[in-house]
Amino acid sequence: MNWQYLPIFLLLTLVTQGQTPEVSFNRDIQPILARNCFACHGPDEHERKAKLRLDTAEGFLTGGSSKEPVTVAGKPGDSILWERMVSNDPDEIMPPPDSHKEISAEEKTLIREWIKQGARYEGHWAFITPSLPALPDIEEKNPIDRFVGDRLSNEGLAFSLEADRRTLARRLHLDLTGLPPSKQQMAGFLSDGKANAYENLVTRLLNSPHFGEQLALPWLDASRYADTNGYSIDGGRDAWLWRDWVIKAFNENMPYDQFLTEQLAGDLLEKPSSSQLIATAYNRHHSVTHEGGTIGEENLVNYAVDRVKTTGESIMGLTTGCGQCHDHKYDPLKQVEYYKLFAFFNTLDDHGHDGDRGVNPRPFIEAKTPLSTDAEVASVKIELQRAEKELASPAPTLQATWEKDVARELKRIGQEFQLISLDHLTATLPNGDPNRIQVKKNESVEAAGGDFSAYNVCCRIPEGTGVVTGLRVMFEPANRGKVGFGGKSMPGGFVMSTITPCFNPFPAKNIDLNTATPYDRVTASSFKPGFRPELVHDTSRRIGWAPALSEVDKEQHLTITFQEPIDTTNQPYLTTELVFNYGEGASPKKFRLALIKGTDDTSMLPEALRKAIALAPEHRTTSQIEFIRDYFNAHSRAKSPARHHVSNLKKRLEVLTGNHRIMVMNTSKKPRVTHVLERGFYADKRQAVKPGVPAFLPALEVPDDRDLNRLDLARWLVRPDHPLTSRVAVNRFWQMLFGRGIVESSADFGTQGKWPAHPELLDWLALTFQNSGWNVKDLIRRIVTSRTYRQSSNTTPELLERDPLNEFLARGPRFRLSAEMIRDHALATSGLLVRRIGGPSVKPYHPGDLWRQVSHYGSTPATSQTYVQDHGENLYRRSIYTYWKRTLPPPGMAAFDAPNREACTTGRGVTNTPLQAFILMNDPQYVEASRALAQQLLSEEGSDQERLFRAFEHVTSRSPRQDELEILKTAIARERARYRGDPSGARSLLAVGESLHNPDLPAAEHAAWTNLCGLLLNLSESVTRR
Amino acid sequence: MMTDLPTILNRRAFLGTAGNSFGAAALTAMMAKGDTSSLPHPALRLAPKAKRVIYMFQSGGPSHIDLFDGSPFLIKNHGKHLPPEVKGEQRVTGMTAGMKNFPVAKPVAPIRQCGPAGAWISDLLPWTQKIADKICLVRSMNTEAINHDPAITFINTGTMQLGKASLGAWLSYGLGSETENFPSYMVMLSQGTGKNPGQPIYSRLWGSGFLPSEHQGVLLRAGADPVLYLDNPPGVKRTQRRGQLDDLARLNQAFAEQTGDPETIARIQAYEMSYRMQASVPELTDLSKEPDSTFDLYGPESRKPGTYAANCLMARRLVERGVRCVQLFHRGWDQHIALQSQLPRQCQDTDQPSAALVLDLEKRGLLDETLVIWGGEFGRTVYQQGQLDSTGAGRDHHGRAFSIWMAGGGIKGGITYGETDDYCWSVAKDPVHIRDLNATILHQLGIDHNRLVFPYRGLDEKITGVEPAHPVKGILT
Repeated sequence: MNWQYLPIFLLLTLVTQGQTPEVSFNRDIQPILARNCFACHGPDEHERKAKLRLDTAEGFLTGGSSKEPVTVAGKPGDSILWERMVSNDPDEIMPPPDSHKEISAEEKTLIREWIKQGARYEGHWAFITPSLPALPDIEEKNPIDRFVGDRLSNEGLAFSLEADRRTLARRLHLDLTGLPPSKQQMAGFLSDGKANAYENLVTRLLNSPHFGEQLALPWLDASRYADTNGYSIDGGRDAWLWRDWVIKAFNENMPYDQFLTEQLAGDLLEKPSSSQLIATAYNRHHSVTHEGGTIGEENLVNYAVDRVKTTGESIMGLTTGCGQCHDHKYDPLKQVEYYKLFAFFNTLDDHGHDGDRGVNPRPFIEAKTPLSTDAEVASVKIELQRAEKELASPAPTLQATWEKDVARELKRIGQEFQLISLDHLTATLPNGDPNRIQVKKNESVEAAGGDFSAYNVCCRIPEGTGVVTGLRVMFEPANRGKVGFGGKSMPGGFVMSTITPCFNPFPAKNIDLNTATPYDRVTASSFKPGFRPELVHDTSRRIGWAPALSEVDKEQHLTITFQEPIDTTNQPYLTTELVFNYGEGASPKKFRLALIKGTDDTSMLPEALRKAIALAPEHRTTSQIEFIRDYFNAHSRAKSPARHHVSNLKKRLEVLTGNHRIMVMNTSKKPRVTHVLERGFYADKRQAVKPGVPAFLPALEVPDDRDLNRLDLARWLVRPDHPLTSRVAVNRFWQMLFGRGIVESSADFGTQGKWPAHPELLDWLALTFQNSGWNVKDLIRRIVTSRTYRQSSNTTPELLERDPLNEFLARGPRFRLSAEMIRDHALATSGLLVRRIGGPSVKPYHPGDLWRQVSHYGSTPATSQTYVQDHGENLYRRSIYTYWKRTLPPPGMAAFDAPNREACTTGRGVTNTPLQAFILMNDPQYVEASRALAQQLLSEEGSDQERLFRAFEHVTSRSPRQDELEILKTAIARERARYRGDPSGARSLLAVGESLHNPDLPAAEHAAWTNLCGLLLNLSESVTRR
Repeated sequence: MMTDLPTILNRRAFLGTAGNSFGAAALTAMMAKGDTSSLPHPALRLAPKAKRVIYMFQSGGPSHIDLFDGSPFLIKNHGKHLPPEVKGEQRVTGMTAGMKNFPVAKPVAPIRQCGPAGAWISDLLPWTQKIADKICLVRSMNTEAINHDPAITFINTGTMQLGKASLGAWLSYGLGSETENFPSYMVMLSQGTGKNPGQPIYSRLWGSGFLPSEHQGVLLRAGADPVLYLDNPPGVKRTQRRGQLDDLARLNQAFAEQTGDPETIARIQAYEMSYRMQASVPELTDLSKEPDSTFDLYGPESRKPGTYAANCLMARRLVERGVRCVQLFHRGWDQHIALQSQLPRQCQDTDQPSAALVLDLEKRGLLDETLVIWGGEFGRTVYQQGQLDSTGAGRDHHGRAFSIWMAGGGIKGGITYGETDDYCWSVAKDPVHIRDLNATILHQLGIDHNRLVFPYRGLDEKITGVEPAHPVKGILT
């Protein structure tokens, strides 16, 4: 029997029963010492007590101040280690009571047994270069299964049966592409009777363009990739070219050593390509601050610290953080060695205080996307032509409805229109002298100019006003006879970025975004081309309404019409935020607010349209007919999906063909000198150090003629004798496929890390990976074709009790899908998914504007302070492309355990919370997916039974059992009954989401099936990969 | 003897839902050993004085000079330069580092001694003055950070580095929940009218960092959807949702039994809690049953959801319903400019509701078991930023010494603790580092901050970090 694999409780049982299994120092003893003793008797020489260290063989031999060896082989009673652990003397006992550390009785038993058995010391396993272990001699084809099978038989366990084909296909699709199999893919696999059908499926999936997306995701976590700068203001940055580089690298199976080398040192390669420069953004994904008051030097230290941390954890599985302030307490990393690593990352031209105004923190370059292909450019061009044609094509039914609406609107303009003057009470602004804005005689507000000003104006509404329908702001020409302070492109004018009204029972000086009054229609007295009044709906700072430049010497006004009329009786105060954030001084001089009753007397419909619409269709001239049609295409809501389609495609073409910014690494002409920093404090500089690597790892020789650089570091990391890099890499790929690594602490292979569950398998995988030329797809193929991987994940009570975490691997792995996969699963299943690869990050549905509620919006030129949702295909892209704001990550992702990407993460937790239920049941993204899936079902013929069967099979990739079908039948019956008498309830459910739905389907039926599909998407099975 | 599947599933489900909290993990370990006599876990061995916390976080850096620490000395020395020996080596931010001299600026409003200990409290805070006998004013707070992000991250997560867990998440992890109807840690945001918008705040401050994400603070917002996606989609009724959840539970239960998946059982329970929250949250936010006297106490703005006053009232309602940790983040205290006009407004928004909360808790007998904290990430400089006495002048950040107050939860009322020098620049007596504050908060809840640890990346992480921290014994009853 191989004792090495004995679980600790069994080991203990045997020990206490007088049997004598072998105690392994590395597995059993070292973790106890590391946890309880190393803080005072470990690598940190400054903290070391009694000159004793227990993290080296020498320390054990020579002992501490007493100069006696720590253990005497075979004799616990004569060993100081044992004596001190069991002492009754409070001054003698170790660990000392004030350390709050305790060695348990079981642990003591193990230590005593280890001393009895000879007290053999071993170095920490992960710091020793692995050698290829012999394959266990059992009958399994795949070497992985030999290791696991051997372990299982030692445990008295056996492999589980292979999972059924449907489960396997779903598992493989999800693991290798992040997406479930389509109906056709599943059918194709099931009908493939060839012996190597499974292997062929593996090959197909490894070649899928979605493979790169799936592999990239964990690396994005590890590299703390995000679209914003982080820290307090958290403005936008351009990082996506690097994300696309990663996707491409995995898709093209770039050797992993090259993958690391280009990211660490692409800029130092000979004549680096722009792709190799893009790769170096890996070291720039740390947060960068643009908070005023920042001390640049302090932050430059933080940035380099983050690079060391990320490189350490994501590539070497080494936690380095301790070394910033003192020698590492647990791993043999000295403080001076920490700063030698730091020195590698401290030579670029970066700035401590940088990244404001949407300008990337330096250094950055412009480059083309690595993912662009001629084929996609050509196809997008064709798509664009089609979309433009579609937009221009007549839509007679829709246009007729629209014309009726327009005619009705024209008739109503100015009906019962009445302006209610308001008593202006207060006006505030965020920045500068508060006297820059003043209320004059309670009638109007005068401002002294300035940029980035969210003006909040509070007015009292006259008693008896009652119900109002909208709000008008009137801008008066003031000194020099112009309405605004604009210079450059807006002489004498201004740009209103947005306007937000809020009714209150008391005179609030500021608006509250949660209770703002929504509005629809926006009109203005005039507008500058490109700055139409309705653009105030878009909160972006450079998009908004500007009066026509020819009109800036006359009074101008803008009017919003509330979605619902507001009764002011119990809320007689109106606070309005007017945001002038354009820059160039484009803010107004003097304005006043008034409420309106009745219908707005302004219309944005041009005179020509009004005339033409007024005519009976048969009396319109050809040019009038064309004018109406063009106006309908350009402005009607009915045509907005077509317009979004065109504009998204134009942007896509620009993404594929244009140049884009990306932050990169470089080497400064005058690189900073790195010093050891006392206690890590940036201003307390001690000795200067040059780049170098820690002594406990393989040596890296310094060339005679130059210092070491990042390229040397990269090449050292992938040297065959490096004990960490390949182990850490294969462990993380394993983790991706099994839910947990062979070493559970995938970012910490140090002495505080976890002992590998299958140590020999880990080493075998690591060396085979290296020998294959660091071939990622080969490695993954080897794993997923193993018997170990293909087992059913079903658990028996016995097994669950014996091995709750499935460390032995007597069954297949089972875990909840990641946040991204859950959303992608819903999109793919419903057919909404848009499978474009790469490009700038997108902004799908978002609850309100969470960013604006916590950001500096309205007082800063920084970008990404307000969430402006995208439309069209960008709502349905894969989740890896969702815009990632560090200080407020997408809420639907954060609830499913996604990290905020402020620091390197190499594995996500899995929790179950009610917030997740809210998202899957109520978030428009999922309601819309359910609605689209229902539409698919209803567009195919079939009985209820057949449809329920199909739907279940489509969502879970397996056939439902009879008892499950029965539950679904009751469910659909209940949902039908619910909507039978309530078509408007049905319609309001179907209105969720921006994609169009088939109006010909009966609403009640469609709504009922929408909820049925929602039920299926909420199944635990749907969000589990098993 | 083998236990049957349902028993195992149920037990694991119980541990699965609560298993990510510290107490439950400890419980699991003890159940495994068959030893329940040694409950609770070592970290929880202290006798708790408080069951819950309400933390009224004042984001931006309230001026201790103007509000709590001013003195006649400053009035006498108004306009004189801060002596270099007082200023010492203290680094100042990039915003005032370039100033040639540092003129002392007196408090913008009269400040007087109140309560039994004669605590200095500004006339801008008349309500706080009135509760001086109930609060403990700590004037010797200090932090190393001098800019917002590092400072607010430090005080809320225990370190200036990114990626750690927030205080509230630690409390949720350490203590678990008292209620099945609400998350254990809830957060509300508001914006003051003094300076709009104030310094940004962010989810890191109430995030779970390396702790399981169920411990992250859940935002309670004003308006229609107080918890994100709480409401059913349009056209879906509550009775209908009940039916859907029943079907879902039956299907999930069958799946769990078929595959032996305890995670699925935990998921069924999470869905059930979501259904309960759909009732408990609207009940919480419905203020129609509060008598007028409540609104009189908290002030008229408490009728308006989303205001600081409404959030203070909501905090009381949350602790009444068993929520463990309630944290308000109120923005707008960063008065680099226009201190004269911004600070009075900021005080007007916050003074009455903050004091009302203490009075209200006391009246309801909840103050003893609820620890209340009022404070920000740092204070402000005694010297003027900008032209002395001008309407646009203000104060820069100052971490070396600042003031907070606490009440209830085993904290002595009517005392002041700690002193600063004449210029309110440095701590002169009884320093309280922000680490000590966090250690004190844990202590009052019965947690030894040295023992509430989470092993992560080779370190036993704690909210108090690696430097020594001590509960402030001098302020405890």
